[in-house]
Amino acid sequence: MTATAAPPPARDALNVSQTISEALAIEMQRDERVLLLGEDVARNGGVFGCTRGLLERFGEDRVRDTPISEMGFTGMAVGLAMAGFRPVVEIMFVDFIGVCLEQVYNAIAKIPYMSGGGYRMPVVIKTAGGLIGSAAQHSQCLWGLFAHLPGLQVVAPSTPFDYRGLMASAVETDNPVVYIEHKGLLLKKGRDFRNQVPVPEARYKVPIGKARVVRPGGDVSLVTLSAGVEHALEAAEVLAAEGIDVDVIDLRSVVPLDMETVTQSVTRTGRLLVVDEDYLSFGLTGEVITRTIEALGPSALQAVARHAVPDVPIPAARSLEQAVVPGAGSIAAAVRRLVA
Amino acid sequence: MNTGPTLERFRRMLEMRHFDEACLEGVPGFEIHGELHTGIGQEAIGAGMAESLRPGDAVVSTHRNHYHALAKGVALRPLLAEIFEKETGLCRGRGGHMHPFDPATNFSATGIVGASLPVALGYAYAYRLRGTDDVAIGVTGDGGVNTGGFHETLNMAGAWKLPLVVLVENNLYGISVPIEAVSATATLAERAAAYGAWGRKVDGTDPDTVADAFAEAVTHARSGRGPALLEATCFRFRGHFEGDHDNYRPREEKQRIRRDHDPLTLYRAKLTAAGVADQATLDALAAQGKAAMAALLAEVRADAQPEAAGALRYRFVEEA
Repeated sequence: MTATAAPPPARDALNVSQTISEALAIEMQRDERVLLLGEDVARNGGVFGCTRGLLERFGEDRVRDTPISEMGFTGMAVGLAMAGFRPVVEIMFVDFIGVCLEQVYNAIAKIPYMSGGGYRMPVVIKTAGGLIGSAAQHSQCLWGLFAHLPGLQVVAPSTPFDYRGLMASAVETDNPVVYIEHKGLLLKKGRDFRNQVPVPEARYKVPIGKARVVRPGGDVSLVTLSAGVEHALEAAEVLAAEGIDVDVIDLRSVVPLDMETVTQSVTRTGRLLVVDEDYLSFGLTGEVITRTIEALGPSALQAVARHAVPDVPIPAARSLEQAVVPGAGSIAAAVRRLVA
Repeated sequence: MNTGPTLERFRRMLEMRHFDEACLEGVPGFEIHGELHTGIGQEAIGAGMAESLRPGDAVVSTHRNHYHALAKGVALRPLLAEIFEKETGLCRGRGGHMHPFDPATNFSATGIVGASLPVALGYAYAYRLRGTDDVAIGVTGDGGVNTGGFHETLNMAGAWKLPLVVLVENNLYGISVPIEAVSATATLAERAAAYGAWGRKVDGTDPDTVADAFAEAVTHARSGRGPALLEATCFRFRGHFEGDHDNYRPREEKQRIRRDHDPLTLYRAKLTAAGVADQATLDALAAQGKAAMAALLAEVRADAQPEAAGALRYRFVEEA
């Protein structure tokens, strides 16, 4: 009997976690200053599998299982960056940021400025956000929180193609980047996305700060990101059957915020709905709407609305969760109200 | 090892004292318009560090950082200019006195108590990855030893045998709270045992004692045997910051500290008793140092503040 290697899976059978692992492997291969720190990233390959295979390939110095010491190992990234390395730090769930935000917002975000350009902070904070049925302390998005703190670039990709390409950009830039995955997407295969873009094997980058029109439409500008894009596309299909043509924009990053793409769309549609899985108040939805009004003037909008988590912790019970987190159904309803 | 006393250590302490006295001059007229934390009274620690530090080593300091910067070799002029909020400063006036960053000497600081230590750990890990024998020094006060980051840092450094020296300057008070009121251990150095670290407590008012112990701590860390925890006891002569009423310490205690525990006075006595120099020589050194610092201060004061048009620069690399 001859042993034969199993054929590699079809590219569109890769899930998001696998594409992230692929991205990290490519970046670590091309730049030996790149290294990975975090809980369960080495032996276990990440609790969502985003770092699987990296320990075997790059060794434990560069793929380091840390103790549960986020303040300690996030601070390590600061020293490593000042010493010339390019650390990727995994905060397993973004909800855990509370115990190490100090190093993120007082050190990583501010040192380039405080040092008058003397030091750069090529650090990626890679972390999983979003809904996964795990209630208040394991389901937040928090990109609005990071975006509020000056000095951080904040990305939240929606497709396997963007997860790969934005990770390449995040590792390559000398700016600090908070890279927020969505737990609801991590185990989803490329072929199961509505928003399908083939993921090439060769390295490529998706620029940070460029939004993408995912579905062109003329009646309503629907601006969202991360898992919200899939929900928006599902809603748009339903609405199309009702004769409502939705322009779906995937922001891809919160900082920088690509307002040019948004305002171009709003100029055509005159109606703006911003959908966000993060909290409603003082966040992305208000920011996008305000900047749109500042750019185009209030008369450019016939109708405007926002749909986000209404300032409440994410509940445990599914019935309650569905009541507060935007989904395809609630997004469609919000669009109908907007065009009514 | 018993080294000293030496004129060089005296000269270093003088420079640190004169430097902080020059900073004090910036407070009344709001040339330094925020908090200022001086190290007056704690100079023996800075002088004791200086001789063991190599250019490749890193020092990550605290809000009370001027004398550590001088010990690491940060240039006086840009440091003073940064503290005086000038465009010619080390960080172009963006950092200020609590946040000096000097890539040329691997010196940095943080204004957040205890936050220096994880950053120093990162340097230590970097040195391990590079396979050099450089060491990282994380400085904290007695306040920082009760943060979670202190534990996390020493635990990781111990688990991975990283070349880290944690230098604890125990000046007995975290602002107003006496360390003995909030520490479970009688000494801070004894906590080293929990992390498999080298640990020692020394008199931080004598630069010779500090220099010898610091050299041993650094040698330990350089040799790959893991972290060292050096506690140096000292006295803060002034309030926590300029403007602190410092009513939590009795007047008699503050008078006694200045009278009995001034590292410069003590070292003068040591130098003369050992016959290294006479009072007249030391007086002349002090006068020269003071004059040189006054000249530098006058120069720095004439520098311009950063232009308002540049207030948003340096947030991202595209703006640098």
